[in-house]
Amino acid sequence: MTPVHYAFSSAFVLGLTGLAFHRTHLLSALLCLEGMMLSLFIALSLWTLQLNSTNFSTAPMLLLAFSACEASAGLALLVATSRTHGSDRLQSLNLLQC
Amino acid sequence: MTYIMCLLLFGLVVGVVAVASNPSPYFAALGLVVVAGLGCGVLVWHGGHYLSLILFLIYLGGMLVVFAYSAALAAEPYPEGWGSGEVVAYIFVYLVGVVAVSGLFWGGWYETSWVPVDELGEMSVLRGDSGGVALMYGGGGGMLVVGAWVLLLTLFVVLELTRGLSRGSLRAV
Repeated sequence: MTPVHYAFSSAFVLGLTGLAFHRTHLLSALLCLEGMMLSLFIALSLWTLQLNSTNFSTAPMLLLAFSACEASAGLALLVATSRTHGSDRLQSLNLLQC
Repeated sequence: MTYIMCLLLFGLVVGVVAVASNPSPYFAALGLVVVAGLGCGVLVWHGGHYLSLILFLIYLGGMLVVFAYSAALAAEPYPEGWGSGEVVAYIFVYLVGVVAVSGLFWGGWYETSWVPVDELGEMSVLRGDSGGVALMYGGGGGMLVVGAWVLLLTLFVVLELTRGLSRGSLRAV
């Protein structure tokens, strides 16, 4: 595994663990998801550039478009949570009635 | 050139550690800006100027700006930076983990394995990646239409999520 490959692979895995072990805020989980998307964009772009397969350059662009969709859906959920629960803290997202 | 690539990649991993350690979202958004900037540098040093510009403009200048002002929704009186208790523990564990796993791969890393091998016949305006992206408007037109359709669908998804019709009147965030 070359150092470049290891760098973006570890960036992806770190983002994944940050998403799994999120602490208080929903927004920090969304930011870790964005970090994962960024590492995927860099990975696809480096595939294009290192292997000289220029036809594959469209893949990072389309990934960016779909990642924008996902980010906007996540932020809409954040806004909806903030409206109904007052904040985006994950402690307040419980259905417990007592 | 190896040193610059080394710095960019180290900065990238340290930036992602700064985001993944889950500080207050203000600092995590700053860390993500640093990661995106250094990722653009990595792409430029591999010869992909167009993709790097796309990342900078659309991702940093479009999406991350939205995340930066959405951090106002996560306002708290005492935001936890990278120096406070639990976040420091996460940073330490992640950095030790990254260094430890990289120890498996050190054996094959020489000075030239950090940089790409590139052939440059002549200086030109149209590099490989910008020529390749032009295919999205040519043979890849179907995927362009699918992408536009997905973006329109996402607009309606977002409008529906934030409507809140049955849960009360439209409230100011």
